[in-house]
Amino acid sequence: MFHRESGVFKTTYAADMALYPLPIAKWTVIALAALFVLIIPLTVHEYYLSILNLIFIAIVGALGLNILVGYTGQISIGHGAFMSVGAYTAANLAVRLGLPFWLTLPAGGLMAALIGVIVGMPSLRIKGLYLAIATLAGQLIIEWTINHVPAISGGAQASIEVDRPSLFGFSFATQGHLYFFLLFFAVLAIVATLNLVRSRIGRAFVAVRDQDIAAEIIGINIYRYKLLAFAISSFYAGVCGVLYTYYFGIANYEQFQLVVSIDYLAMIIIGGLGSVLGSILGAIFVTLLPIAIRIFMEDVGALFFSSAEMANVISGLRLGVFGGLIIFFLIVEPEGLNRLWRNIRSYFRVWPFSY
Amino acid sequence: MSEDMEFLLAMVLSGASIGLMYSLIALGFVLVYKATDAINFAQGEFVMLAGLILVAVLGFEGAPLIAAIVVVLAAMIGFGFGLERIVLRPLLGRPVVAVIMATIGLAAIIRGLGPVIFGKEVRSVALPIGDDPIVLGPANLPPIQVLGAVVAIAFFLGFTWFFKKSRMGVAMRAVADSQQVAQAMGINVERYFALAWAMAGVVSALGGIVWGAMLGVDVQLALVGLKVFPVVILGGLDSVGGALVGGLIIGIVESLAAGYLDPYVGGGTKDFAPYVLMILMLMIRPYGIFGRRQIERV
Amino acid sequence: MTRFGKSVLGIAATTAVLAVGGAQAFAQSKEVVFGLQCDRTGPTAPVGTVLCPGYQDYIALVNSKGGVEGYKIKVLEIDNEYKVPPAMEAHERFNKEGAVVEFVYGTPQAAALGKKLEEDKILGTTPGFGTSAAADGKRFPYIFPIAASYWSQAGAAVEFVKEKLGTLKGKKIAYLFYDNPAGKEPLAVLEELAKSEGFELRTFAVPAPGLEMGAQVLDITGRFKPDFIIAHLFGRSPSVSIKELKGKGYPLSKVISLVWGSAEADIIAAGGMGIAEGYNTLQFAGVGKDFPVLKEIEAMYKAQGKPAPKEMDSTVYYNRGVLSAALHVEAVRNAIKAKGGAAPTGEDVKKGMESIKGFTLGGFVPPMELSPTDHEGGGWVQIWTVKGGKLVKVKDWFQGYRPVIQKQVAADASKS
Repeated sequence: MFHRESGVFKTTYAADMALYPLPIAKWTVIALAALFVLIIPLTVHEYYLSILNLIFIAIVGALGLNILVGYTGQISIGHGAFMSVGAYTAANLAVRLGLPFWLTLPAGGLMAALIGVIVGMPSLRIKGLYLAIATLAGQLIIEWTINHVPAISGGAQASIEVDRPSLFGFSFATQGHLYFFLLFFAVLAIVATLNLVRSRIGRAFVAVRDQDIAAEIIGINIYRYKLLAFAISSFYAGVCGVLYTYYFGIANYEQFQLVVSIDYLAMIIIGGLGSVLGSILGAIFVTLLPIAIRIFMEDVGALFFSSAEMANVISGLRLGVFGGLIIFFLIVEPEGLNRLWRNIRSYFRVWPFSY
Repeated sequence: MSEDMEFLLAMVLSGASIGLMYSLIALGFVLVYKATDAINFAQGEFVMLAGLILVAVLGFEGAPLIAAIVVVLAAMIGFGFGLERIVLRPLLGRPVVAVIMATIGLAAIIRGLGPVIFGKEVRSVALPIGDDPIVLGPANLPPIQVLGAVVAIAFFLGFTWFFKKSRMGVAMRAVADSQQVAQAMGINVERYFALAWAMAGVVSALGGIVWGAMLGVDVQLALVGLKVFPVVILGGLDSVGGALVGGLIIGIVESLAAGYLDPYVGGGTKDFAPYVLMILMLMIRPYGIFGRRQIERV
Repeated sequence: MTRFGKSVLGIAATTAVLAVGGAQAFAQSKEVVFGLQCDRTGPTAPVGTVLCPGYQDYIALVNSKGGVEGYKIKVLEIDNEYKVPPAMEAHERFNKEGAVVEFVYGTPQAAALGKKLEEDKILGTTPGFGTSAAADGKRFPYIFPIAASYWSQAGAAVEFVKEKLGTLKGKKIAYLFYDNPAGKEPLAVLEELAKSEGFELRTFAVPAPGLEMGAQVLDITGRFKPDFIIAHLFGRSPSVSIKELKGKGYPLSKVISLVWGSAEADIIAAGGMGIAEGYNTLQFAGVGKDFPVLKEIEAMYKAQGKPAPKEMDSTVYYNRGVLSAALHVEAVRNAIKAKGGAAPTGEDVKKGMESIKGFTLGGFVPPMELSPTDHEGGGWVQIWTVKGGKLVKVKDWFQGYRPVIQKQVAADASKS
């Protein structure tokens, strides 16, 4: 009844090619917009806004990684390094040339895209595990370079401070301001990705993932599309890094080490490889998980453990649950949270009937 | 011998001995890949787990070292069996990313719950081999590294014989080559998978004992796992001999980089050099020095 | 159960768990909130798992005696896994709960949170790590090193070397360090001193994770053959360095380690206190259990019928936690007194911290003097050496090359 697909007729090509042609979609978008733009910022405490801010940034990164790993099937463990490339590019431009954020952001993204293409070049020759290891090497080499080239890293501390982003003299300083700033970019990234995967390029990516030899036969230049996938994914990563920089007010490569790359891989696997909604759900899940575990343990854990042990148990449990969930999703539901959502949605498709 | 030559030789020997220690860890990885095509990103954590079990057993008053070693071996073999059954069998036939992520998840679990179960403080392992360095020409080698090297070479010889001559070893190679044909020939594939993981458990157990004795056992021991990748890429993912040779090369290259390149670049090339070498290898000969020409080239 | 059923159950369970957590207890009156960030699972877990219990124990002690000026202290501890986003989230949580003082954990975290601490007016302390330039209270109003910064530590180490060698001119000093920003901090001061005192300095970097450094040590002992080694390593690498240096035959009495390579845990992991005879360490808090405050904590546990926690045995890190907690409490005490008993805000606590003078807790804390311009307190350190299987104090509180350090802080300020 809600998700009615029948009885929907379009009269123009444009209407038919819209992102969400069903009437319910319109209402959903309006409801979400009202929720995120009006209700949440006005009612919720800053602490929760700060969590949402972290989630928005993670969404951008996860979308980028999913384009590369989920849609194009190229494994990459170097996502964190591309973020740091974007972060330092933007920070250097902002501090040395005084450029505003709407110039440094795309610049950071483009620089990351360039490095991404270079790191992705082995993908033209190797696949699977070998590519994963090559990207791992890329991650470590980029880290080393930033650490050792003071011109990039800004000195021994390897931290570059940036001012808060400002637009026409209005500075985005508080969590509330940054909420809108980051919401804008998260929505932009989501819409861009949705359109990308429906386009010719997106279909080419999927072809490369599924049957690359057949794809080459029908005329898709898999070299070009693989490098393009790396470039686009790294662009997202670079933008994500720049957003982190503006959010924290500082660029520091120690924020973007290997563990971050693995976190983002976990996000897209738990969320669902090859889907936009999956990236979003995965980003939310992985960001909230440590917080949820801590809250859960604070309330319930007191029953089982003394307060001294608790602190150790909480942190150990967090890692343990994180790993356990990855394995759980891989074994039980390989298509991740996205599939769970689709199950619910297909239930409501024919509700109140059962089939 | 001039002082410079002496120094060079000392660096090379030092690098070689630590390189053989790396091989010990890489062997576990190679065993698993060779028999089951699974990529184990959690190899470092296995070594750490073995170390944790070892010091946990040694923590009991008056527990003899031999008993502790036996317990560790048994535990790691059991762990290998259990792991294969619960985690890896459901993932058979899935894309590479799935197995990699499963082992990454496993690594997180071990790293998170290990200290909670076994205790988080650093504990040292006292092996009855003395502390005085063994002098090998101009080089002073810590006896634990020499022990590690000996164990690695022993494993190499043992496994080479196993895979070439023994029935089980040949069967395992058959399973790795083509599961279906092996099954058609009457080989119980599942049993051999389990066996491969159990063998990897044994190697991890000894790796844990040796590395634990060298570094002391705690959570950070798992970090040695990262060294595995340059070693196996150089040597070949499925070659036991390759693990040894790869380890030697990486160890020596690291040592020479630290000694001769660091002063010019301000340090840190030691970390850097193996990965550069690895990338070069990936571009020229991805299957490694001794690996089989099996990977799909694009 | 159907697929749909499973999915709904999963979502319901998750929501229930989060909702349970949402019901937070309301803060009681006459309570102050302290925020403690810790690393219990990341690369510095060996430190965090001992330091944070030390912090918590001191607070428990203060609470058992009626709190600080009648206010009970509530400590919120959050593990930041040595990553920056969780550190940010932890800080926001502390802010939400109304914390007035925060123990920041980790050098990159301190750098990232600097601005936020200033905006939210909560003071953050970074004892023995973080940015050395933050000693300048005017530039960094809400960041307090409250203990010898890396620059001060480097100066003190060189002072000690000078004492041991008699003179520095023409001598060779090797600097063995962990190859990350924190490890490279002291270089500025060391190079400056090398020029002014006339010694030859060569640096040897150990890349993360620093689990083996045979080549660097060989380079030092085989080629450079220095008169002294200054070591600045973290995590597991200090114990590896002790083993390596001993193995290559370099006398440990010619090694001095900065504060994070100086714990019993490091020496024990290297093979026990017995083999590290002569190893010199820099400390910014008292070492060992022979202090009134530690005896009080032990007594507190005994009164509860529990044995003293084994973290207390790792006195170096544990005591640093106690030191930080003590300074936090003292700052809040000053703030409450200045306000005549009213609940303090973050700003009040900042002023309270800046007015700490002559607070030594029985020799546990150095005779530091904090002020609005000096957030470091003077950079006091002690030297403890391994003698006869234990750490023994060989040099009481001193400052090394203080004028040089102050010049460095001023020079750094003029650059930005």
